[in-house]
Amino acid sequence: MSQPTQQPPGSPPIIAPGHTISSVSDKITSIVLKRHTPRGWYVGFAISFALMMVMLGSIAKLLFEGVGVWGLNVPVGWGFAIINFVWWIGIGHAGTLISAILLLFRQEWRTSINRFAEAMTLFAVACAGVFPLLHVGRPWLAYWLLPYPNTMSLTPQFRSPLLWDVFAVSTYATVSLLFWYIGLVPDLASLRDRAKSRFFKTVYGIFALGWRGAATHWERYETAYLLLAGLATPLVISVHTVVSFDFAVSIIPGWHATIFPPYFVAGAIYSGFAMVMTLAIPLRKVYGLQDFITMRHLQNMAKVILATGLIVAYGYAMEVFFAWYSANPYERGMAWNRMTGPFAWSYWALMLCNVITPQFLWLKKVRNNVALLFLICLIVNVGMWLERFVIVVTSLSRDFLPSSWDTYAGTVWDWSLYVGTMGLFGTLLFLFIRFLPMISIFEMRTLVPHSKQKAPGEGEAS
Amino acid sequence: MSATTPIASDIARMQRASFLVAAVAGVLLLIGALVDFQRFLQAYLVGYLMWLGPTLGSLAIVMLHNMTGGKWGFAIRRLLEAGMRNVPLMAVLFLPLLLGVTQLYEWAHVEHDPIIEAKRAYLNVPFFALRALIFFAVWYGLSTAMLRLAEKYDRTLSIPALRKLKGYSGLGLVAYVMTMSFASFDWGMSLEPHWFSTIYGVHFVVGQVLSTLCLAIVAASRLKRVEPFSRWLERSHFHDLGNLLLAFVMLWAYISFSQFLIIWSGNLPEETPWYLNRLGFGWQTFAMILVLGHFAAPFVILLLRRSKRNARVLATLAMALFALRFVDYYWLLAPAFHHGEFHPSWMDAVAPIGVGALWMGMFLRNTRGRPLVSLQDSKLLQQLEEAPSAG
Repeated sequence: MSQPTQQPPGSPPIIAPGHTISSVSDKITSIVLKRHTPRGWYVGFAISFALMMVMLGSIAKLLFEGVGVWGLNVPVGWGFAIINFVWWIGIGHAGTLISAILLLFRQEWRTSINRFAEAMTLFAVACAGVFPLLHVGRPWLAYWLLPYPNTMSLTPQFRSPLLWDVFAVSTYATVSLLFWYIGLVPDLASLRDRAKSRFFKTVYGIFALGWRGAATHWERYETAYLLLAGLATPLVISVHTVVSFDFAVSIIPGWHATIFPPYFVAGAIYSGFAMVMTLAIPLRKVYGLQDFITMRHLQNMAKVILATGLIVAYGYAMEVFFAWYSANPYERGMAWNRMTGPFAWSYWALMLCNVITPQFLWLKKVRNNVALLFLICLIVNVGMWLERFVIVVTSLSRDFLPSSWDTYAGTVWDWSLYVGTMGLFGTLLFLFIRFLPMISIFEMRTLVPHSKQKAPGEGEAS
Repeated sequence: MSATTPIASDIARMQRASFLVAAVAGVLLLIGALVDFQRFLQAYLVGYLMWLGPTLGSLAIVMLHNMTGGKWGFAIRRLLEAGMRNVPLMAVLFLPLLLGVTQLYEWAHVEHDPIIEAKRAYLNVPFFALRALIFFAVWYGLSTAMLRLAEKYDRTLSIPALRKLKGYSGLGLVAYVMTMSFASFDWGMSLEPHWFSTIYGVHFVVGQVLSTLCLAIVAASRLKRVEPFSRWLERSHFHDLGNLLLAFVMLWAYISFSQFLIIWSGNLPEETPWYLNRLGFGWQTFAMILVLGHFAAPFVILLLRRSKRNARVLATLAMALFALRFVDYYWLLAPAFHHGEFHPSWMDAVAPIGVGALWMGMFLRNTRGRPLVSLQDSKLLQQLEEAPSAG
């Protein structure tokens, strides 16, 4: 019996039995190279692409008329743009977490989900970047945010977390891209070697950087990958910490709370894992990858969602308790306004989505039910959007001076831009699964020894 | 393990020494309490909360390990279980604080303060006592349940027992974090009843886990010097524990710094006094010691692979860090009593030593008559069967 408390015997394996090194390579590369593109791919891509066109239309309208087309007004100067920015960037964090932190913790089960989770990170960061870029009003002058020597006596405000965001997010995007690409190199070489058409052989060959799989290649690869993982780990935490500072360093009731940094980081992981599940569940079904993305992966991710969901719930509880305990009329008013004010629906919907729904994951039956998991993850995705809506809108619409209170609602251009970025995300994701191996081939090969394991009932070492 | 093995006599010797120190410190503190009861309470609170750390931290790490697994946990599991058994001791040691609540806490004797009046529904003596009772009931219930379930699993190695252990550990962690957060608000934060910070509870929880890891590493490295443990405890055990220590050092720094940055940046008159009291009047020395000794130095040392794999180096670091945990608690709590001054008392030093010696003596007593290693660790069973390999 091997290390019983690590994994109870009888739990699903991380790779289905009976796989060999070549069957793993064949199965993953064939999705890209050989197999007929499923009809679902065309449908999904068409919908995503259409939505992306909606985004471009919405951006065109915005640039033509100005940010006035959005629902922003004087107390609510931050509306959908910041909500969606935080939502997308949070989703992106799961990719880095799965790839880097689980790698450092030597969690082998990450292997089959890390590649597309990393891709998800990149695409989510791209979607997130759209919003602040447009929110500055004149995106063509966005480079003014960078501290560069200029003749306008223009220096960015280094005390503003919005500027820290510029550095944190751009660094994060760069490192995530490098991390993803470095991880892809050996697989691009596999694709190059297996591709039949000369065109694809050349394209994959260029990006494979002349990888031959020599021992020195592997040695340097391992070092580089581990270093990037070490670099990405603090980055993922710093990015969402800085995002939380965007709110917390101000003095707006409901924003100025010391719990914000860890609570935002946990929320990001929470929403990110929910999104990974939302993508993984249909993908494994459509492409028949149940052997690689097993129930074990789904169960483990469900546990991470439950754990981070509890941390987020702790954050909500502390906010409410301290609003009362502070004995500060503005803090108390903020909490009361959230629960009973004009946006009370969003607060209670948030509690339902983010606090109550994940509690079902305590039950093993629910963790074993793919359909229910999918449903819970969708609800969590909605809940995390609502969380940012509650934070941004309730606090801004009613702050210190009742005479300046106002209400807020997103316009059609707010919604079209938001839905449109989902199109951008979908489009990139569909292109990725069509042209690149969505599961790391060579890392899956290292799991092949697990596949030799006997019938269920025997534990596996991990 | 018979009583004749060297480790057992070693433990018995240390236990006697601990109780002796505890007795001397107890007499001194009793004299101190008779001379100035309020000053005694202030010193005692810091010492008490410092040693509540490894008691509840042990519980937390055991529950965490039940859920995550990992061989690092098997190395220290029995030690943590001995620490958990000190919950009743800490409950008894809480009594002086309960007796002195009106002298210790401003909110319990100040009247006509509008802010305190607005919190009266929470900050009042009967509810304070009731909450303390609930906290100790939860902690005692959790620690006995964990010990029983783990023991049952050790005996049977059955899957239902393991499932139960894991499930209860999940719920138990939730209960621990909630109760400890509110305990920290009651016992620590309410010393300055106008001030509040939503991250305060997290800071305490992280600090408790950190204290526990330090002590566990020290104890494990002592075990490593003795046969048969020297064969079982490998470098990789310490490497993993070192990584965990590094993670919690960083988490502690992250939380402390975030709180500081947010309050500094907001610059609100209801929040900044807390830091102003702690960054002037001599207290800034402690703050600097914490920044350098509790974060910068261990961070750099723990980044190096060599220092994590060397049990002796790691244990020295853990010992120093545990001493700095006292500075953290002192800096966190004591400035509330000094009202913009710094006037230490000899009791500030004697109280943590006294409570600590008693805690240590009981801890050592708890280890006796029980195996010091966990049978759940299958690698151990293998090693016991195979020929001894060079450590």
